[in-house]
Amino acid sequence: MTDPESVPAESDGAHTKPSAATQIARVVERERKTVARTRTFAILGIGFTAVVLGLAWASGGTSGGYVPTVVGLLTPLELLVPILAMAFGYRAITGDADRGELDVLQTYPISAHQHVLGVYIGRAIGLLAVILASLALVAIAVVFLRTEPIGWYASHASTDSPILFARFAVLTALFAVAILAVAIAISAVAREARTVLALAVATLVVVLVGLDLALVYGLASGVIGEGSLIHAIAFSPLSAYRGLVFESVVVTAAGTGPQTAAPLSSVVGLLTWTIGSLAVATLAVRR
Amino acid sequence: MTTRTQSEQQTSGGGHTETAEESSVRSTRDTDGNSDSDGDPLVTANEVDFAYGAVSVLEGVSVAIRPARITALIGPNGVGKTTLLQALAGLTDPSGGSITYHGPDTVRHIGYLPQNPAFRPGFSALETLEFYASLVGETDPHARLERVGLEAAADRRVEALSGGMTQLLGIAQATIGDPPLVALDEPASGLDPGMTTHVFDVAADLAATGTAVLLTSHDLDLVERTADEVILLDDGGVADQGSPSALLDRYEADSLWETYEAALTGDLHTVRVRGDSS
Repeated sequence: MTDPESVPAESDGAHTKPSAATQIARVVERERKTVARTRTFAILGIGFTAVVLGLAWASGGTSGGYVPTVVGLLTPLELLVPILAMAFGYRAITGDADRGELDVLQTYPISAHQHVLGVYIGRAIGLLAVILASLALVAIAVVFLRTEPIGWYASHASTDSPILFARFAVLTALFAVAILAVAIAISAVAREARTVLALAVATLVVVLVGLDLALVYGLASGVIGEGSLIHAIAFSPLSAYRGLVFESVVVTAAGTGPQTAAPLSSVVGLLTWTIGSLAVATLAVRR
Repeated sequence: MTTRTQSEQQTSGGGHTETAEESSVRSTRDTDGNSDSDGDPLVTANEVDFAYGAVSVLEGVSVAIRPARITALIGPNGVGKTTLLQALAGLTDPSGGSITYHGPDTVRHIGYLPQNPAFRPGFSALETLEFYASLVGETDPHARLERVGLEAAADRRVEALSGGMTQLLGIAQATIGDPPLVALDEPASGLDPGMTTHVFDVAADLAATGTAVLLTSHDLDLVERTADEVILLDDGGVADQGSPSALLDRYEADSLWETYEAALTGDLHTVRVRGDSS
């Protein structure tokens, strides 16, 4: 998004450059409409919702309450959420590059970081709508299917509460937007349809398996000490998410158990993946 | 950067009435057979080199693009027309030399039509222009469609547009924000003769309103009829340049095609492979 030698004017009499927030909002709206109008995303959303509802019911969690539902859903969502997030984001910028629209956008007074942020927020709206709607339906299912009365406050041990489930939903959303940021970075770096799919699959393998294996190797080889493991797992977005869910939902409900993660480190880990990936995407778009 | 006063900057609109200045520009070319090369250039390339890795595409190219005229880049496939157009449009950085924009300080400096324009599916032609227009604070994208004759297809999804319609939508997009320079990469590629003529007419209308139009084309007849300045690229550099009539005089040719044949080195039936596809 450059012009030879000079920065475009804020106004030239006939036109006035919109504010940065307005320009980001235009890109967000374009992405939001794209998600809403693309049949693939609708199918993905329906499929994801059906699978999550089915898993929640099949695991028996819905009859046991919110925390048993979280325990039943956590492992499947560790797999499904990254795949869904990757599907929502991996073509976002590559598509524009394929069509030549990325070059066209360079002739407009919108910066690379505004463009990337707009794409990210727009896609995140669609992604979060799917994930949070699915989990909301699961929560509703728990209300009707559970056999124990609802405890509203998670202030003491052994309490099952919708607030704990809400925490789970928020953490799942945080995990999803972190992976979405990675997908946007891949989309910006690959630029070509042929390479972006391969890169997306490879990244999923690394995120889902590779980083956990690296942590295990680090622990086994002594590079990571046992005392620092709860901080080291923040390095992997998947482990960070899992640790956060255990610490803030499962252990809270159980009232006891070993410390499974350092919540602050895990949140910082997820935020670092998110911001770092968006920075990579911005640099890739600017090149 | 040279900043022009508002009165010097011709802005585009719906219809066009030729101004005295425009008439003067055209009559200068018509009467003496040479383009008026003394006007202030909008964009200049000075000793520009461009290479893809170890493959050199352009070497020592110096050209000037001036307002209110159509400058056509012509030459064989693979000679670097697209590379030079993109460099002049600020989309790629040359590996040597410099590209300088001298034009007015507008919200959008340069409009660009890629060689095979395509737009995000799921949006209508008008929605597509609305998006781009919103980035420069323009409020009437429908006028852009009218200007290229595409208003009847305003509500049609972009994936349902014909090749010619897509090209026209791309040209409409390139003019959003009234940039002083509009760069069109093969705007008539793949179009039927009628649509090709229409596209060049639109380019001529743009130039008549003061816009510098830079285009690449293989349609030498239309270039000869429409362009004010022709830059003939060959073998990594500028083989010759001037108004069509000046080039015809120089080579004692009856058509730009004959000039093209005379000016180029090598076999015209062999693809030149220096770098990119154009």
